[in-house]
Amino acid sequence: MQKAKPSWRSPGMIWKVFGTAFFVYLFFGFMLLPCLNTLAQIFTTRDAAGNIDPLAVIRFFLAGNMPRFLWNSLKLALCLVVTVNVVGISIVLLTEYFDIKGAKVLRIGYMTTLVYSGVALVTGYLFLYDSDGILTTWLKGIFPDMNPSWFTGFNAVLFTMTFACTSNHCLFLRNAIRGIDYNTVEAARNMGAKPFKVLLKVVFPTLIPTLFSLTVMTFITGLCAMSAPTLLGYDSINPEIVRLAGSSVADEAFPQARAALLSVILALFTIILLNILTAYERKGHYLSVSKTKAKLVKQKITNPVANALAHIYAYVLFVIYMTPVVMIVLFAFQNYPAIRSKTLSFDQFTLINFFGQQDYEFLTNRGKLRTRVGSISGLFSNADTVGSIRLSFVLSAIAAALACVIVVVAVNYIFRNKGKKRATVLEYSLLFPWLLPTILICYSYRTYFNTDTVWYVFNTNLYYRENVQFLIIMAYTVVKLPFALRMIKAAFYAIDEELEDAARNLGASSLVSFLRVKLPIVLPSVLAVFALNFNALFTEYDMSATFHSSYGKSYAMVIQNMCFEEGRDGYNVNASGRRCASTVFIMVISALILYLVYGVGARDLGERLEARAKWKRRFAAWRGKLPGGKPADKANAA
Amino acid sequence: MIELKDIVVRFGDFEALHNINVEVKEGEFFTFLGPSGCGKTTTLRTITGFIDPAGGTVNVNGQDITHVPIEKRNIGIVFQSYALFPTMTVYDNIAFGLKIRKLKKAEVDQKVREIARKVDLTDEQLQKAVSQLSGGQQQRVAIARALVTGPAIICMDEPLSNLDAKLRVQLRNELKKMQRDFGITTIYVTHDQEEALTLSDRIAVFNKGFIEQIGTPNEIYNHSATEFVCNFIGDINALPAEVTEKMGLAKDEKHFIRLERIRVNQPAIAGECCVPGVVKDYEYYGLYIKYHVDVNGTILKAVEKNDGVHLYRQGEKVSLALSAADVMSYPA
Repeated sequence: MQKAKPSWRSPGMIWKVFGTAFFVYLFFGFMLLPCLNTLAQIFTTRDAAGNIDPLAVIRFFLAGNMPRFLWNSLKLALCLVVTVNVVGISIVLLTEYFDIKGAKVLRIGYMTTLVYSGVALVTGYLFLYDSDGILTTWLKGIFPDMNPSWFTGFNAVLFTMTFACTSNHCLFLRNAIRGIDYNTVEAARNMGAKPFKVLLKVVFPTLIPTLFSLTVMTFITGLCAMSAPTLLGYDSINPEIVRLAGSSVADEAFPQARAALLSVILALFTIILLNILTAYERKGHYLSVSKTKAKLVKQKITNPVANALAHIYAYVLFVIYMTPVVMIVLFAFQNYPAIRSKTLSFDQFTLINFFGQQDYEFLTNRGKLRTRVGSISGLFSNADTVGSIRLSFVLSAIAAALACVIVVVAVNYIFRNKGKKRATVLEYSLLFPWLLPTILICYSYRTYFNTDTVWYVFNTNLYYRENVQFLIIMAYTVVKLPFALRMIKAAFYAIDEELEDAARNLGASSLVSFLRVKLPIVLPSVLAVFALNFNALFTEYDMSATFHSSYGKSYAMVIQNMCFEEGRDGYNVNASGRRCASTVFIMVISALILYLVYGVGARDLGERLEARAKWKRRFAAWRGKLPGGKPADKANAA
Repeated sequence: MIELKDIVVRFGDFEALHNINVEVKEGEFFTFLGPSGCGKTTTLRTITGFIDPAGGTVNVNGQDITHVPIEKRNIGIVFQSYALFPTMTVYDNIAFGLKIRKLKKAEVDQKVREIARKVDLTDEQLQKAVSQLSGGQQQRVAIARALVTGPAIICMDEPLSNLDAKLRVQLRNELKKMQRDFGITTIYVTHDQEEALTLSDRIAVFNKGFIEQIGTPNEIYNHSATEFVCNFIGDINALPAEVTEKMGLAKDEKHFIRLERIRVNQPAIAGECCVPGVVKDYEYYGLYIKYHVDVNGTILKAVEKNDGVHLYRQGEKVSLALSAADVMSYPA
């Protein structure tokens, strides 16, 4: 019997052609061409006579103040590597390795950055340390001569980012420490090594690969920092790129080309660092050879002085982590006068920062009492804020879903064509945005699609009016593709290859076996990726700032504005209150997502069925207790 | 029933199967036995349709199914990992194939419950997730799922390899009983000789993409056709030249004898030859004892039933009785 060749009109072939066309369109249209255009901008600068001068920007870069931005970013990145690692390693050792009293509470405090990060965290720190922040106001009471604007510039950015960037340590270094075979520690102790020696010679070497990855990621984060430098006033690359992108030739020399150059420099750094990281990861160090791992037992610090110091250090860090969170939560439920005077009081408790509107009475310069109707408004009653929340919600949800759908289809194809060139090409093209800083992609979109000459988007200016929302969705999607690919590919790896064979053997077609067997297995991971991407995009700042316009005003931008507009002309009087309420809202959303992803989503069918049965039993028992209700055992029997 | 004719399978330049010819009779329990990478699973996957052979044909009941799509072959499979769908309940796993065939709900339900009864799965177990079942119960689900669609043949790819030794023996017996009850033609893949010998009606021994021998367990064990089969199946002694000379065996051949054919410290009977040796070591298994006896520098192993009286310790001198009739000889 001869095997029939698939026809060009068969559904499989149509899908193949459509899929190939889509991925080619996505890669060239929304990844490669816009970035190449940015690269071209650098070398196509025109001089006063209108001639192209390819090296003009480079000369300008070398002669002007542009290296300052680069140096500032590098300085921040280098310092962050040190401070984040010191704090990150400390908090993980204090909660996982050493026996510190109250470690569970400390861990919760240190992990608050998982639900409270980005622009929300920076504005939270500002609420505490700004010129009219709680702490500054309190300190000014004690030291009247102190500079109220002390929390600004490099030190403020370094301090804020140090505590903001330890989330990865909390997740990955914690897992690495928990993965240590305790028998190796015991063996070292048995051979006479003192606890500190064990930590240095046995424990640390196993953590080096994780620490190396974390260091590289921290360096890149520092280099590409955006929200902290913008809000705290520090001249680094990213804010400068956004500023230049919005500038015109009338104000300064070739701003777009300079922005392009800075983006490309950033991209070069990122590419080099990621290559180093990948090369290092390939070496695959320190794999445990233990067949039966013993669980790590927390180490007591035997020296009483060292033990006391460790406890003090742990709790000081806890206070630094928790103070902004606690203050923000408390002040989110305080009215405008309480927030303004930075005093907490039960009498001033209110929900106005979340819901409803109030009139605001104020004295004018001429001493007249005036009332602004509805000037005090809650987070969910303020049209501007609600509009931005809705917009961010919709754009983030669409982009997160789009990234998941694209990646699921792609990964399924990659796995079906394992080892073939076309699968490798597809995989690398989806990983391409990982090599580029977010700002480069966004800046490239902003400049490349800000014309009506791009034929493959039907000559539509995508930066014009509402079109910018489509551009934001595309940028969000493209930027999130590499993360989605890495996570979903890992989920596909976990699928037993025999499952698809079994489904095919039982009569299912490729499509049916994918939809009914493989997809349900990877669905929890896909939903987790969707939720994590949504969470990150919902309050995303870097891209929002680049695409900022009245038609694309995202939630992060509104939060940023809340830092500046407080009480101006009697408008937006309780911006600080709404800022606190916003942070609480974001923390609730993030916590809910993390619970759904790592709590509910991580359960398999067996665990879900058991949980369902447990709830049924509880319900039956509860009904049994109610007057007239069935006794629990009868209900079970029934 | 099943006929493989000159099957050749290639992976790139590598030829995994070279002209495989096998005939399996209806209702037979037929085993593909061999070491890892010998081609037994490849042959099974060729029958089930997961691999397209580069040459040869697969016939079932005289019909060429070489290029028939997997889903249309009507061959059930029990996979090494069982490949039970983790997102479905036991019931849904078994019903999967029936639903794909678009059977009515009532019919699906009836068939699922019927097969579940036959493989000893309770109604309560049917509602569980597969992860909530034990290894043995999972195996029964896999068998039920493979059988529920009424396949003509069932293929099993090392279904016992993931289980512990005790459960493996227990399920082996259940498997054999089930196969007899259903009377279905079964092709079984394993690298475990004991499993193959206890379960099979006939065995094909694979080596490097070739079939070395096809035969009943007794033929394979006692009359191994090649040196490879002789060495692969069970434990064996290669006889040293001085012993073979004494026994009057051909000089230009290699000679092997099974452990249980050598008798320790027992008077030689007609046709037997005795050689002296010293016990170097022994392994106490309870049911029997395995002796390692040094015969002029060559270690010969022998197995003696444990009678509770005789136990020869290290250093003890013993005599070994061997018969030329028990020796298997192959060209050197």
